[in-house]
Amino acid sequence: MKRSWLPQRWYVFLAVGLLLVLASACAPPPAAPAAPAQPEAPAATEAPAQPAAPKAPIKIGCSLPQTGPFAETAAWIQRGYEQWAEEINASGGLLGRPVELIIYDDESSAENAVSLLNRVITADKVDLLCGGYPGTAAAAQMAVAEKHQMVYVSMGGHMASFEQGYTYSFGAPPLMGQWWYDGLFRWLETVPPEERPTKAAVFTMNNPIGASVVDLIPTELENLGIELVVNELYDLPLADAAPLVSKAKAAEADMFFSNGFFADGVQTVQAMKALDYNPKLFAQAVGSIIPAWVEELGPDGDYVFSGTAIHFKLPYEGIDHLNQVAQEKYDSPVAPTYFLFGYAWMQALQRGVEGAGTLDQTAIRDWLKSHEITTVAGTFTFDERGLPPPYNFLTQVIDGQVELIWPPEVRTHEPVYPKPPWGQ
Amino acid sequence: MLYELVQSTVSGLLIGAAFAVLSVGFSLTWGVTQVLNIAHAAFALLAAYLGYFASSYFQVDPVLVLVVIVPLFFVLGVGIHQVLIKITAQRAHDLALSSMILTFGLAVVMENVMQVLWTPDPRVLKTSYTGKAIFVGPIAIATTHLISFVLAMLTIALLYVFVHHTLTGKAVRAVWQNPTGAALSGVNMGRVTNITYGIAVATAGIGGVVMSLIYTFDPSTDMVWLVYIFLVVILGGVGSVLGALLAGLIIGLTVGISGVFIPLVWVNLVLFLALILLLLLRPSGLLQR
Repeated sequence: MKRSWLPQRWYVFLAVGLLLVLASACAPPPAAPAAPAQPEAPAATEAPAQPAAPKAPIKIGCSLPQTGPFAETAAWIQRGYEQWAEEINASGGLLGRPVELIIYDDESSAENAVSLLNRVITADKVDLLCGGYPGTAAAAQMAVAEKHQMVYVSMGGHMASFEQGYTYSFGAPPLMGQWWYDGLFRWLETVPPEERPTKAAVFTMNNPIGASVVDLIPTELENLGIELVVNELYDLPLADAAPLVSKAKAAEADMFFSNGFFADGVQTVQAMKALDYNPKLFAQAVGSIIPAWVEELGPDGDYVFSGTAIHFKLPYEGIDHLNQVAQEKYDSPVAPTYFLFGYAWMQALQRGVEGAGTLDQTAIRDWLKSHEITTVAGTFTFDERGLPPPYNFLTQVIDGQVELIWPPEVRTHEPVYPKPPWGQ
Repeated sequence: MLYELVQSTVSGLLIGAAFAVLSVGFSLTWGVTQVLNIAHAAFALLAAYLGYFASSYFQVDPVLVLVVIVPLFFVLGVGIHQVLIKITAQRAHDLALSSMILTFGLAVVMENVMQVLWTPDPRVLKTSYTGKAIFVGPIAIATTHLISFVLAMLTIALLYVFVHHTLTGKAVRAVWQNPTGAALSGVNMGRVTNITYGIAVATAGIGGVVMSLIYTFDPSTDMVWLVYIFLVVILGGVGSVLGALLAGLIIGLTVGISGVFIPLVWVNLVLFLALILLLLLRPSGLLQR
């Protein structure tokens, strides 16, 4: 019998190795560092003309999902980072130095996000960190940032991630599941009791995001006098939304919470429509804040209530400019939520660096914790956990537009309540 | 309770048929050629995109696009077999493992190409009947689910007739049951495997369109669909057309009905416990001979 020169199992290792190389070659390469725009040349003096040595760029590194299920949203975060870098370089840089972004693709894996953050810190030796996405990756990266004592500004991984005793992490703004429906419940308090929904059905994806979103719902409903008739978790991927909807319909719930992502959110909407279940109030969590909700669902995605920590219609300085940038550069009618998030996080980091006047991480941290900062997301102060005081805006999709409903000072449209029948 | 039970049973059956048609081609190639085509779901996803674009940009119903997709994917399947699988089969010591790694690589390449071409944006297929339903008393039958069901049953019925009542189909079965015996009996192995791959990828195309009528999708959705495919094939029995149908329906029903009686979060637990139990009783799956 002919003998192979390598044991058979080595062929397997070789094949796996080759496949990994192939896979990485096929994936989009790590984002090319944003080309640093050189600050303007210093004004000429009477000294002999010597070309000034270019200042070394400030390197800012992180990972984002450039491929995988979170890539669509993360692409906008990266664009927000790049827009900020472009603008700050054009205006003379950060502390007078250009900035350079180093962003790797973590393939939507929190494990990769951790190793890549370690890589930017230890191998690329970046000066500053940018935040990761989604919450699972950000929460995992917060521990890495803390270990290396580097300031980490991101959306965080909901309340639990900010209660780990980390001192270098900031949510500026954070995306807090626990605060998700804060705007909804505050608005419902203003609705006369007889006009409020009477029975609520709550369906939540079984993961840390879902757990954080559903956390305060029972208490808030009780405070409003709304009976919680169904409160269930479901595993992702959701194979069939009909059992959820039929349970809510059978329980005669007139308030329906679909605390899921885009895919299960869409399935739920389609099942609600098909089963002709039309509650007075339909709230959806994370899925309805991405542009695909209105683009892909069309009128069926209308009248859904949700929450957000940032929005393209907020009357804050810089929002109009970013809407214009999104339109001109990316052919997006408005600045998507995560574009604004990315930009706001970098602004918060910039405020800390400029405030501290140094790249010393502890000095930046201490400055941020002792000063008020303003970004396109609003004005923030931070507590010991790196969190601003609780807040969230209530949104509703109306005629394909995500409108701001609550608080009143930012309202862009009157709420449509109760929800009109499907197709109207 | 009765309303929930009947509604969830109907919905589960309709979805189960979609799982079955998505999986039957994978089962066939595994059974006949010992190849685990991990890229099967990626081909399904490709068909979903073709249906989506035909519907979105040319207002052509995705079901009608199958007239193009089925022959196109048949040729694609034959091509994949000739260019990739056949060569691997000739050289590999362990075909199942080698083909799994090879087709996993192919799936990754396809995912990345789709992402570059069509962005990572999630897609929702919208047709003139999306969101509409036929009501039988209080029970709603979503039109998209019903069309998916009819399409799936038709495909599986045709495949069953082909495999059991045509000469070529019998040759396919012969190769599946006893490759050496089939070769000794004069069965043209190359032709049979080519046809098997063609049919398998063509059914992946149908499965992709069927799934896209029910589910949203993006370039990484194939890995989610692959989980359903493995469930169906392992439960139904490798290589069995009827087994795939039965398994798909059982999975759909389990998902639907168990959600009525127990918390939804336990549905997957029930599903996998049932799978373990069935495999303990029938290790080769429900209908494998």
